[in-house]
Amino acid sequence: MHINPLDISTPATELNFSGKNVLIVDDYMEMRSILRDMISSCGAEVKKIHMATNGNEAIAWLKKVPFDIVLCDLILGSGKNGQQVLEEAKYQSLVGPSCLWLMITAEKTMEAVTGTAEYQPDAYLLKPVTEASLRSRLAKIWTKKAAFAEIYKAMKQQDYSKAMHLCDQRLASDKAHAADLLRTKCDLLLVSGEYDRAKQVLEDILAVRDLPWAKAALAKILLKKNDLDAAKHLLEETTEANPAYLEAQDLLAHTLQVMGDLEEAGNVLERTVKLSPNSVTRQKNLGQVAMKLGKLEDAERAFRKSVSLGENSVLRTADAYLGLAKACSANKNVEQALKVLGQLNKNFAADEVRTKALAVEGMIHHQSGNAEKAKQIADELSQSISNDSIHPDSDGALEIARLLLTTGDKEKAIQLLQSEIKNNPESATLLRDVAEIFDQAGMGEEGSRLIETSRQEAMLIMNRGVLLISKGQYEEAVSAMRDAYSAMPANIRVLLNLAYVIITYMQKKGPTPELIEEARHSLQAANELSPGESRFVRLSAALNELTTLR
Amino acid sequence: MVGISNKKQTNTTNIPVVFNMANFLVSSVHDMKNSVSMLICGLDKVLTSVEAAELSTHAELVQMNHEAKRINNRLIQLLTLYKLGQKIYPFDPQSVCLDDFLRTTVAQYAQLLKFRQIHLEVRVDPGLYWYFDEDLISGVIGNALNNAMRHTHDHILISAEEHEGGLVLRVEDDGDGYPPELLEGNGNVMQSVDFHGGSTGLGLYFSAMVAGMHRNQGTQGDLCLENGGSLQGACFVLHLP
Repeated sequence: MHINPLDISTPATELNFSGKNVLIVDDYMEMRSILRDMISSCGAEVKKIHMATNGNEAIAWLKKVPFDIVLCDLILGSGKNGQQVLEEAKYQSLVGPSCLWLMITAEKTMEAVTGTAEYQPDAYLLKPVTEASLRSRLAKIWTKKAAFAEIYKAMKQQDYSKAMHLCDQRLASDKAHAADLLRTKCDLLLVSGEYDRAKQVLEDILAVRDLPWAKAALAKILLKKNDLDAAKHLLEETTEANPAYLEAQDLLAHTLQVMGDLEEAGNVLERTVKLSPNSVTRQKNLGQVAMKLGKLEDAERAFRKSVSLGENSVLRTADAYLGLAKACSANKNVEQALKVLGQLNKNFAADEVRTKALAVEGMIHHQSGNAEKAKQIADELSQSISNDSIHPDSDGALEIARLLLTTGDKEKAIQLLQSEIKNNPESATLLRDVAEIFDQAGMGEEGSRLIETSRQEAMLIMNRGVLLISKGQYEEAVSAMRDAYSAMPANIRVLLNLAYVIITYMQKKGPTPELIEEARHSLQAANELSPGESRFVRLSAALNELTTLR
Repeated sequence: MVGISNKKQTNTTNIPVVFNMANFLVSSVHDMKNSVSMLICGLDKVLTSVEAAELSTHAELVQMNHEAKRINNRLIQLLTLYKLGQKIYPFDPQSVCLDDFLRTTVAQYAQLLKFRQIHLEVRVDPGLYWYFDEDLISGVIGNALNNAMRHTHDHILISAEEHEGGLVLRVEDDGDGYPPELLEGNGNVMQSVDFHGGSTGLGLYFSAMVAGMHRNQGTQGDLCLENGGSLQGACFVLHLP
């Protein structure tokens, strides 16, 4: 327990560097050489240390060599910054889960507080980096990676119950990682839809310590249960006490948006963007909210920022370009708007994006008074939909409907909107978006009626199968859900209910390869629409059980 | 600085000048920090290559290294206080192993302690974990240690223990203790500018601020200065909830 001054300079942990590849990324020559000397005196083999002076060089190295350690400065001069290099490396799977990534920064950044985001480094190291701090950090992360290796493996295989079991096992003895283990366990309970157990664990944690992540997790459960007021209240409390915990800020903005309080959602986003201005996604969200509020200049500014941040980032989104084009058009800058769409088409090749962009282009022409051109695009899109040659996503369908309504193809537009409502009848946000489109076309009242009828119809069909199952009418249930599926193929509840009735049917009457295939297809489609739904996890497990029985 | 930059939205002619001043100060502190970082890295590199026995022949380097670190700590404190005032500091309490934490913190002073032949003792239960912002508390303890090193005869004790549901961190020395004026001002650190003889008061202000930021279940951290303790000198006592 007592340390004398001679002991404190010698680190406790021995690091094993044998065979390990190290990448150093820094734009300053002096820093590179300092870091190289430091890591080699920690034990790394000199010939296994590689160096890059900028983001592109780093990516090139990462493609060539499987690195075990990356020491990367956050600021790399012009071009990609360290965060963008990390994002690209993870996105392209250039680094595996065993690779240790240390981000070196001059000072603590807001992004360091987030904790468990997908594109986080293993640690941030503050300058000046000393050999002692480097050693102790490397040792700590290696131990943590070892402790979590099996758990992450089980999570990757979506074997959440095994992962949870491993967490519990470790929690019993591993005090050093207790905090992270508990947090992982809560995440696992959340993804497997065990909200009540998750809530219990979180409340136990919070009874001892005010932890912002635990409060945010509790708010997520409230959101899942559609208790929006309680979620909002909890998140307000959390963000008030911990403004730097950006995840809670984003969650609060999202909650307010779902509640329809755009004004306040915009305020929260404004505040958060001030704290952390370099998020492609957050700037885009801010742009979208500002746009809906009619704050056109703010919208344009935010979208522009998102687009420019996205230039070097794999996380760039087409929606930022579309938003910017719309904002420019609304600000009476048609030329700019069309130019942005041109850039969009250069950067994004996906059909859904192109379709959406075309619809937006049509609206831009309409707004600029070029009715002929708008009509031409509208006809083209309408034709493609009739031919079944394009398959717009939900946003795309709304954009097309907006254009068709303004150019006079009312019937087709209403059809599109009705089918979107049926695919997503429980999304308050979508219903509001549809209502806004009707309003804009001067069809407010008729629109409200249409929305309500479609929604009720959808709810009825969605639940018919489950009702029949509960009455023991298994065959009728399957056939009812199949009908629902053909009417509403992108409705997540329909897809999950179809899988549910088929699985229940098989549990009663025995599995067949065709039914297993049908259930699996339905589950996969649901998971693509909304990844990681708790019902998906439970139904997949039930289906796997049936398959092993055979 | 804090009050000034709130005015950045206004358009009067003289305000932008003041605003730029705050901006210049902040960006200069950043810039200085980068330079000092390089300086520390370089000095560390030279000193680690020096054998322990020959350390006495590099007295100036050891002292320079120490001063560079002091500058760095001061700059960090200034930047942190600025950000706290702007409400943009990324406050991030995490579960920390006190044994690791104190070892890492004091390791930065190992050379100087050795050189000055100060005996430093760390008392902590290896199984003790607590929630706090590691960077901030490391700054606070570093500051207290620096101060103790200046005033001790030859013995410093750092300890951490759980007491009545809170964490108590103590930095004690066997020097002459704090001057009475400072002890009287306890509880109002803003007034005690003359911190332990010839200091700016920044360190103490920073420490009290950081202590108060740590909150849990309705209680908040605080800072306490005493004379006495197990070494009969100055005691810097930090309570964290």
